[in-house]
Amino acid sequence: MTSAITAPRFDPWRTHAVRVARKTPEVPGVFTCDLAIQEATVASTYRFAPGQFNMLYIPGLGEIAISICDDPQSRGSVAHTIRIAGNVTHALSELAVGSTLGLRGPFGVGWPIDEYRGRDLVLVAGGIGLAPLRPLICHLLAHRQEFGEIHLIMGAREPSGLLYSAEYSAWQDGGLNVYPTVDRGDDSWPGHIGMVTAILDRLPLCRPAETVMMSCGPETMMWYAAQIAIDRGVRPESVYVSLERNMNCAIGLCGHCQFGPQFLCKDGPIFSYNRVASIMKVADL
Amino acid sequence: MSNVGRKQPVSIVTVYKGNTAMTMDQPNLLKMLCATRFAEGLSHEHLACLCRAGRLVRLSPNQLLFREGDTEDEVFVISSGHVRLAMNIPGRGDVPFLTAGPGDLVGWSGLISDGRMTATATTVDETTLIALSGKRLQELCNCEKDLGYVLLRRVAQVLSQRLLSTRLQMLDLFEKEQTQKVS
Amino acid sequence: MLAEGLDTLIRALAEDGFQVVGPTIDQQAIVYGEIKATSDLPRGWTDLQEAGTYRLQRREDEAYFGYVVGSHSWKKYLFPPVTLVASADLGENGWRMQTPEPDPVKYAFLGVRACELAAIRIQDQVFLGGPFVDPTYEARRSRAFIVAVNCTQAAPTCFCTSMNTGPRCDSDFDLALTETSSGFLIEIGTDAGQVIAALLPVRPANSTEIDQAEIARQRAADQITRRLDTDGLRDLLMNNLRHPHWEEIAQRCLSCTNCTMVCPTCFCSSVSEVPDLTGEHVDRERHWDSCFNLDFSNMNGSPTRNSISSRYRQWMTHKLATWHDQFGSSGCVGCGRCITWCPVGIDLTREVVALRDTTGNDLSRLSDSNAESAEANR
Repeated sequence: MTSAITAPRFDPWRTHAVRVARKTPEVPGVFTCDLAIQEATVASTYRFAPGQFNMLYIPGLGEIAISICDDPQSRGSVAHTIRIAGNVTHALSELAVGSTLGLRGPFGVGWPIDEYRGRDLVLVAGGIGLAPLRPLICHLLAHRQEFGEIHLIMGAREPSGLLYSAEYSAWQDGGLNVYPTVDRGDDSWPGHIGMVTAILDRLPLCRPAETVMMSCGPETMMWYAAQIAIDRGVRPESVYVSLERNMNCAIGLCGHCQFGPQFLCKDGPIFSYNRVASIMKVADL
Repeated sequence: MSNVGRKQPVSIVTVYKGNTAMTMDQPNLLKMLCATRFAEGLSHEHLACLCRAGRLVRLSPNQLLFREGDTEDEVFVISSGHVRLAMNIPGRGDVPFLTAGPGDLVGWSGLISDGRMTATATTVDETTLIALSGKRLQELCNCEKDLGYVLLRRVAQVLSQRLLSTRLQMLDLFEKEQTQKVS
Repeated sequence: MLAEGLDTLIRALAEDGFQVVGPTIDQQAIVYGEIKATSDLPRGWTDLQEAGTYRLQRREDEAYFGYVVGSHSWKKYLFPPVTLVASADLGENGWRMQTPEPDPVKYAFLGVRACELAAIRIQDQVFLGGPFVDPTYEARRSRAFIVAVNCTQAAPTCFCTSMNTGPRCDSDFDLALTETSSGFLIEIGTDAGQVIAALLPVRPANSTEIDQAEIARQRAADQITRRLDTDGLRDLLMNNLRHPHWEEIAQRCLSCTNCTMVCPTCFCSSVSEVPDLTGEHVDRERHWDSCFNLDFSNMNGSPTRNSISSRYRQWMTHKLATWHDQFGSSGCVGCGRCITWCPVGIDLTREVVALRDTTGNDLSRLSDSNAESAEANR
């Protein structure tokens, strides 16, 4: 026969039954859902890399890509921070603890953290963009000695929009410099007001050429953060952005999430700025 | 610089005018100015010139630096600490819109226009500023066109960064753009 | 082999468990469907094709394969328009998800053209060549038996010679036929092909017959006049993502998706939820989709590619440029289907010429070259 037959491989459509183990409200319109994989053999072997995502599935409504926000070392359940945006996320927000749904994953390429041991790191997050950075933060805290300076700049619209704000002091104590900032402050907010770019502008960078920036948030924010980092001497190949497009199959076979020569689900969602800079500002690509 | 875990009220504001300011010998002032981001691209000679119009101001938290609508002579380069800028809207009170930090320029109206302040500036924490007399800087720039060009070019750069930042803030990125990654 | 041997071939394949599919006439077009006997084949018919035009016409002879290609391609068998990819059932312990065993159907494709062999190679790369393998495609592809048929005529829309995909069938077939006035010349491509060939009424071809077949194949090659200059094409397109010509094409393009449906390599799809009346059983059906559909790029309620120009640009740059980055080849095989089946006759080879001639966003040259290339293609 004329074919490229190979040994049976894992079925990319295989969907695991998971149960809602815990639901935690986060900032307005955002909640975290801890999902426990039902099948014991799958649960015990399930691992993910910081920055990867799962497809969460509500039968009859559909699937949605949600980045994993859990500590990669945690076992038993997998946490997803979800913003209520459409049908599926709305239905997810209404699921009671104990409900079942489906999960496929993990998918995507994570933050390239192993390549950057010994470097200084600047993490730039905007809004719910902190969610896919949280597993990375957990990893960095657990391996703090392996890295130089670590800065986290976190932007939100207003103070009530600062995701995981209860954890910032623990992160700070664990050796991260945490800089929360908001677009709109008031007298009850003693912290910083202004875009993440304003903080990035004046962030002390001792060795920019040895510094790595990883960002996740609105594309416009990431673009200007990248410009500033590069202006300040960070190498373009050491700047990473996490992009967003419509994902449908998560395995690079449906075409939905194409962005130039990449399928975000399979080749990303995390890219070095170098790889996407030339097309990030092409409208409607 | 981070405000993690700290929630102090900022309603008590004292005014620095006059006695809390201190002067410093010129070489030290120059050293501090050179260490700021504002000094990037300015020559040592030019910076020394600027310092002749300057003095050091050290403020404790919650002190008023200048008030919107007032006319001030001095412009400030922040050496350390933070200054919160706010505008007053009748019925809403002082609405803060920006926190300026080390290397930032505040009160720049004194350098390029009549010195009427377009914001109220209050220190957030212990803050050290290099205060430069706007009037004397304008005179300097008029006499030494080379310095004038370089200084105003630098001010334009700083203001363009501020403009970009403000624009991004105004675009309301976190509200309009759904930032749930990969969904 | 004489023409009558074709029936033996169809029977032999059927007896071997294959469902034989091949060209047949339906709704005044040559489409691919089930073939029980040679009487199902479009014997004595040919197809007249031009940009936006397709018509069947009687031939002067009784050739079985005297046509070019129709709107169908073999992808409808390997990558079916609708596929059940998973299902979910609500039980006492909540939802349980299953994935179906791939349908064990064995297809024998009768009449695969060289450009279509290339299209299958390209889809092999898409569905089997990456980190994730599509189970349905893999199952169907691994069992498929391919009887290629060399083209002995070409349509004005054909440009396989530009894409190095034809018209000669060189590899990736089990058997390849060349139809001549005296019968069929058979080439054997695989062991499986050898086994089937052994059941056929064949004898070694003599040199006259071999020459006749060569002349017939050469006729097709000689008839191909359309060209696509692929030199530097990837960079040309990627360096001109903001070219005004995309907007010019959008004035004509209806975003109807025809080009993507008839393209033998396009593979976009979407999964739909199909619940039964109780809501306790849900099928997840994957169906063909198209980058020309407005909601294809929907992200949180609004499409990323809101304009026709951005969608045409997505299609063409993917097909001719970024396909190289992703799969190591062009996504175009030069079959001409997208030209024939475009209701307004948009011809990608002409659009490439227009882009090439006006690189640098020179608007005055753009309109001139359009007139020129229109002239050249008349």
